[in-house]
Amino acid sequence: MSDQDNVKLRVNNSELWGGLIGLALGAFVVWSGLKLKLGTINDPGSGYVLFYTGLLMCLFSVTIIFAAVTEGGPTFGARWKDARWTKPLLVIASLIAFSLALDKLGFLLSTIPLMLLLLRLVDPVRWSLAVPIALLAPLGVWWVLKRVLLIQLPSGIFEIG
Amino acid sequence: METLLNVGQGFGVALMPINLLYCFIGVFIGTLVGVLPGIGPISAMSLLLPITLSGTPESGIIMMAGIYYGSMYGGSTTSILVNIPGEAASVVTCIDGHQMAKQGRAGPALGISALGSFIAGTFALIALMLVAPSLASVAIAFGPAEYFSLMVLGLVVLTFLTQGSMAKALLMACIGIVLGLIGLDSINAMPRLTFGRLELIDGIGLVPVVMGLFGVAEVLINTEKLIKRDIINAKITHLLPNKADWKASAGPIGRGTILGFFLGILPGGGSVISSFASYALEKRLSKTPERFGNGAIEGVAGPESANNAAAGGAFIPLMTLGIPPNVVMALLLGAFIVHGVQPGPLMITQNPGLFWGIVASMYIGNVMLLVLNLPLIGMWVQLLKLPYNILFPLIILFTIIGVYCSSNNVFDVYVMIAFGVIGYLMRKIGYEPAPLVLAFVLGPMLENNLRKSLILSQGDLWTFVERPISAVCLAIAVVLLIGPLLPSFRKKRELVALEEGA
Repeated sequence: MSDQDNVKLRVNNSELWGGLIGLALGAFVVWSGLKLKLGTINDPGSGYVLFYTGLLMCLFSVTIIFAAVTEGGPTFGARWKDARWTKPLLVIASLIAFSLALDKLGFLLSTIPLMLLLLRLVDPVRWSLAVPIALLAPLGVWWVLKRVLLIQLPSGIFEIG
Repeated sequence: METLLNVGQGFGVALMPINLLYCFIGVFIGTLVGVLPGIGPISAMSLLLPITLSGTPESGIIMMAGIYYGSMYGGSTTSILVNIPGEAASVVTCIDGHQMAKQGRAGPALGISALGSFIAGTFALIALMLVAPSLASVAIAFGPAEYFSLMVLGLVVLTFLTQGSMAKALLMACIGIVLGLIGLDSINAMPRLTFGRLELIDGIGLVPVVMGLFGVAEVLINTEKLIKRDIINAKITHLLPNKADWKASAGPIGRGTILGFFLGILPGGGSVISSFASYALEKRLSKTPERFGNGAIEGVAGPESANNAAAGGAFIPLMTLGIPPNVVMALLLGAFIVHGVQPGPLMITQNPGLFWGIVASMYIGNVMLLVLNLPLIGMWVQLLKLPYNILFPLIILFTIIGVYCSSNNVFDVYVMIAFGVIGYLMRKIGYEPAPLVLAFVLGPMLENNLRKSLILSQGDLWTFVERPISAVCLAIAVVLLIGPLLPSFRKKRELVALEEGA
């Protein structure tokens, strides 16, 4: 790793951000534990374990932040260096679109486009192969689940599937 | 004599046609996911967990166990022929296995790997039969303080062995505990961290969390890089190792088996650690260590035996104490609970058919694996040619289906996608998901036992120190937590630390 890839007190220090997110989560867990009531050591309440786990999270996060500031940490750029970062981004976007469509359009109408997107967007599979796979795989799964295993899949507003 | 009767009863259960079928499906799928890079036993087991619901507990658990030890066999095929580990425990097999394949000795490499695995698997099962009942009778005396301390030790060992910063691994374990506590408080039914969502009242499901962190996140990581496969195309012949190969491999198989079995029992240990430890041991004991890395058969025989023995050994803490020593066993615990069976010291006496049936099925499964992995090797080689750009959309499809079928709830699909993205980002910035998942499973049990011990002891914290087993577990945990502060201890940790969940 070059010197430019390892930074200390800088905004793009990924280790620092990891620690800060952990600290925020820990503080939230401590607050949630307090809200749920700690109880006493003889009779611990619902928030007892949450509170102390939150405190431990804060402690470990502070350790991570301290190490990030004193020893430095890789930048976000270095973490994604030589990686085709747009590819996972495309998969994530497709999955988010799918999750928004699943309930409304139903299993078949949302899964077939998802499969086609995944087959064509990342490392494109030729159309003559992508289209049959995108159609047949969800249809096959739908048939087995619905007809053989009698599992009801979401059918959406069009009640297809 | 009693053990023999029990084994007989076990074979009676395992040889029932339906259980033989489930066992075959399990080991077949296990070999399949072991062979295919990018999908491991954790993803496959969580994917198939809902399917086990339709059968008896015996059938379901037999299939799940088959996937686990089947993947240990299958992983070596990909390592040897493609130089990509099919699953994490086969990473070291790539080093010498692929070199042997390049030198035209793929057959003996695959053969010794399968035969070594068979020998180790058999030993682990015999040891499991002998050790588990004795340990279970001791474990009956365990109280909540012992269980709490054992779980703390398991989590600390796993964080100690996780690659990278220990603070990060501990933070992950804490997050896992918090996630495990979402839902109704088991003691007073108070909703916790539910944010007013009805779907969270029962907590977050194990399947969407695991499928997201291991299935979806793995796919996202793999799409980042172009997976180049250097597949050995030559015809694979002479699968049975010759006399010289056996002579060289006998010691590594024996040592790997014993080492793997004991590392498998340890909380936080597992197949990955045992395979690395076996490789290091063989290299150190060898008179010609320079051969390692250049196609030494000992470098294949030792680690492959060790990871299979560890897979068998890992069943001991789960079946006798009800504590899963690693993520795979945590999933298996989920399968037991789904079927209304609580693994623990009473399981062997209350459900002898189930316990001994599973043990016997594992032996049958090992024989099936030998047949699947040696004469049918050509079929697995063909499968290796399936391109990843076709494979990964199918993996995504099956994860969606698996998660949906586990609860018939679209909310779980959202949870899986969210954990998939979180898991991807976590791995990119060096946070391993394995401690999170183990803590997620252990979290509710840990809390329950802590609160019970405090109530029983009327708030006296000495209860954890006064009981010898609890005190020993906590003392080891403290040593492992404080140890890495010492430079020499830290160096040793870095040597053994691994990506257990990879």
